[in-house]
Amino acid sequence: MLVFRSEAHIDRWSAARGLPRGGTLSLDQAWRLARAWYATKAVPEWRRPSVDEAEALFASLGIAGPFWALR
Amino acid sequence: MSDADLDRDVRVALYRSIERRADVPRAAALAGEMGLPPEDVRASFARLGAGRVVVLASDGEILMANPYSAAPTAFPVRARGKWYFGNCVWDALGILAILASDGVVEATCGDGCGPLTLEVRGGEVRGEGVVHFAVPARDWWKDIVFT
Repeated sequence: MLVFRSEAHIDRWSAARGLPRGGTLSLDQAWRLARAWYATKAVPEWRRPSVDEAEALFASLGIAGPFWALR
Repeated sequence: MSDADLDRDVRVALYRSIERRADVPRAAALAGEMGLPPEDVRASFARLGAGRVVVLASDGEILMANPYSAAPTAFPVRARGKWYFGNCVWDALGILAILASDGVVEATCGDGCGPLTLEVRGGEVRGEGVVHFAVPARDWWKDIVFT
């Protein structure tokens, strides 16, 4: 996952590599996703989120659509 | 101690060691910190890798203790007076999340046009930029290094 200055820079990067454009998140979405995913990974009670939990997390952050489907 | 209990203790010790030293320890070093036989920690690393808690290099050492990278990357993170490295921009932000710290991600625009600095302060992220995932979510773990 890379960060780009703007949507136009993503288009330029994708075109230069002949890759389809993927999924994008705002910085705020990425930060909230990072916080939900990692904030507790160093505590003893942490466990890897299930697919159901990850899907619910994505939905709560407005991350939706076929690109983000986990199964 | 069960494998599950050992893996929990190794995971917690691993992340605390990284947080303290800003470096990902090798199995022997972590075993020394924990007072355990190195082979027990290597076996635990293998299980944590199989469980996708960490990503292992071909020698069985840790390549990624997500969000941390064992090697320098294009996603350096400055926090608590140290430099850490994320595997990607999500992980770079994840470092500030796991540290529960203000800090700065000194990223570079993916198309190479120049630096992009992201700052987390007071629980909010500031900066310009859009995060792009090239690989669909269901395929992230098919090649996690590329992802």
